[in-house]
Amino acid sequence: MASFSFGRERGHPIICFRNVRKAFGPKVVLDGVDMELRSGETSVIIGPSGAGKSVCLKLLVGLLEPDQGEVWVDGVQVNSANENDLYALRKRIGMLFQDGALFDSMSVADNIAFPLRRHTRLGEDAIRAKVCAVLDQVGLPGVEQQMPAELSGGMRKRVSLARAIITEPQIILFDEPNSGLDPVRSDEIDALIQRMKVELGITFVIISHDIVGTFRVADHIAMLHGGTLIAQGSPSDLLRSPKAEVRRFLSRNLGLPSLPERP
Amino acid sequence: MSAGLMSVSVRKIGAYALFCCDCAVSTLQHGVRWNRVMEEGHKLGVKAFPVLAVMAVFVGTNLAIQGFTAFRQLGAGSLLGMFVALAGVREVCPILAATMIAAKGGTEMTAQLAVMNTKEQIDALEVMAVDPRAELVAPSVFAIMLVLPALTIIAVAFSIGAAYLVAVHQLHVGSGDFLYHCLGNFRIYDLWVGLLKACVFGIVIASVSGYFGFHSERGPAGVGRSTNQAVVAMCVVCVSLNFLLSAIAYG
Amino acid sequence: MSSLSSAFSFRWLRSLGVASCLLGEVGGALLRRSVPLREVTTHAATLCGRCFIPVNITIFPFGAVMGLQGMQILDLFSAHRLVSTLLAQFVIQELGPVLAAVLVAAQGGSSFAAELGTMRIKDEISATEVMAVDPIAWHVAPRLLAMALVVPLLVVIANFFGILGSYTVAVGLYDQAHGVFMAHLYENVGSLDVLLSALKGLCFGVLIGLIAVWKGFTASGGAEGVGRAVNDTVVQAVMFILVFNYLLSSLFFGGGT
Repeated sequence: MASFSFGRERGHPIICFRNVRKAFGPKVVLDGVDMELRSGETSVIIGPSGAGKSVCLKLLVGLLEPDQGEVWVDGVQVNSANENDLYALRKRIGMLFQDGALFDSMSVADNIAFPLRRHTRLGEDAIRAKVCAVLDQVGLPGVEQQMPAELSGGMRKRVSLARAIITEPQIILFDEPNSGLDPVRSDEIDALIQRMKVELGITFVIISHDIVGTFRVADHIAMLHGGTLIAQGSPSDLLRSPKAEVRRFLSRNLGLPSLPERP
Repeated sequence: MSAGLMSVSVRKIGAYALFCCDCAVSTLQHGVRWNRVMEEGHKLGVKAFPVLAVMAVFVGTNLAIQGFTAFRQLGAGSLLGMFVALAGVREVCPILAATMIAAKGGTEMTAQLAVMNTKEQIDALEVMAVDPRAELVAPSVFAIMLVLPALTIIAVAFSIGAAYLVAVHQLHVGSGDFLYHCLGNFRIYDLWVGLLKACVFGIVIASVSGYFGFHSERGPAGVGRSTNQAVVAMCVVCVSLNFLLSAIAYG
Repeated sequence: MSSLSSAFSFRWLRSLGVASCLLGEVGGALLRRSVPLREVTTHAATLCGRCFIPVNITIFPFGAVMGLQGMQILDLFSAHRLVSTLLAQFVIQELGPVLAAVLVAAQGGSSFAAELGTMRIKDEISATEVMAVDPIAWHVAPRLLAMALVVPLLVVIANFFGILGSYTVAVGLYDQAHGVFMAHLYENVGSLDVLLSALKGLCFGVLIGLIAVWKGFTASGGAEGVGRAVNDTVVQAVMFILVFNYLLSSLFFGGGT
């Protein structure tokens, strides 16, 4: 699977946020965020609900435009790219949406084959073989003919992941991979992400508020709070962070020693 | 009408115009997928046909009743056929077929797009580097534009048939009289104008559905609200355009 | 094939049964006087507010088109003076009630279905029931009554705007004298016709209200379910309006010999 990295050395900064500001009406969601995520690593953006995590992800793929600042992904300035460049970039990106975002009118196989049918000239047999292979990879062999409505939430996420990896992207984005899942399914998804990380060796960007899962898969963690980046670094860096917000956020799930300000 | 409402509606019209431009540009850039157009058109036509037939029949019956009472005053009850042919082909059938498609195809399309928006499927298309306007809106625009004239012709046939039955059996107008005046006033020019109107209505219906579907709020309430607004907007725009087109063609 | 058709007709019969049960329950709630009057007036007010503009800006151009075509047809008889007579009759007997009802179905009926559908999906209706409040009396009956009250009112207003539309064309575009138009306006229609027109509106109102609350109240299946309920409401309401219009026209305005 080395072909995925296109000869780019691991550790090269592939995603850059420079002083990004985004507001919806009077509500400022991101206020001057500077962030660098390196290629080949799994970066997790954490933070409480409403901290602007999803907005970060949408800025990254050009679904939203920042009011200020620059967003660079793999050498393309997303916020000022024209449509052709943007589409060329998006072909190198896969994304797993929160509830899968599978097309309801198509079967699982058609959903997964969709990007291949639209962007490549592969024959039907080759496509079918690839669909089969990626479904195996995400641990769901034999569901090709089912419709998305018949799948459980966890299965929909897996199928969505299969759809994201079938085009062999360089970057995969995960929007809350654990949300809406029970602890067992949540663990399974974490294990799957970990396995994919080893098998594919490409850049993962995950947004999550699930702390346990985050520490299991992350090489790099960035924490958003109130629209600014309050901490970033390796998981162990974060655990040693003295900031009260970080410790409060982490303490609930990791059993950190009691908060400094607690009486 | 308050100033706030005015500014909101003006802004909406602007946003709609922008959306239409975007759709046109996307369609030109990415081409039209004709097999999707045929699929959509087929689905729409098959679904719409029975409802349209029922509506056309009952509009025809009332055209006959009203025409009859109107012309009885002129002492020319036998001219009912003319009234049915003129009113039906020129005005009633295009607008009837359009209303029907707006109510059925238009609301369905809006609801479907709004659901896709809610479930982030439109975003998913964008991320997969597929233009959602060319993918989702353009085929429907062409499909409705092609299907609506055909449905208009069907509506004409059914409403005139129903009017004939009411005229002859309920109102006791002579069968020969009715047919003579009906066919005598059935002009090809009127039919062309009717079909042209249907085409225009088709474009309006599909693009308005697309606009409201793409700009819906997320969640079930948003789906309901955008569907609701879309169908009213379609009716208003179609009826207003109908007046303009009629004024140009016959004024 | 026969099983398919029987299943189809069975479904229709079932729907009819469900709808009439709902109507019965609403009637029961009315008889028990458990329908809150405030809810009725609130819904009626919002319905009026929502539908007033759409109804009137639709019927105005429609009246204008009828004026245009009426002038053309009456040209054949050189009977321009009759245009107001015939249009008033046409607008009051057919166009006003039908167009107002169709627009109310599209705007008000669909929004009622959407509201009730959303409440059903979000379990708000179950919550009402759990709180020992009858959802029929609180959510369904007020909407149905509001519909029955508002549609006749809107029909009367729509009649006025429809005639205004044709007046604009006849007097503004075709230079008919104002006096001629007004003099012939009441030749065929009187207050009885306006009353019957409003009565038609009442029937359509009950019809729209029933279909809307029934579709909304029985919605299921998430956001799609709400969309489906709205769609079904509009299509079926428009269809039944046209069917009932024929029956009512035959009954009220003769048509018979």
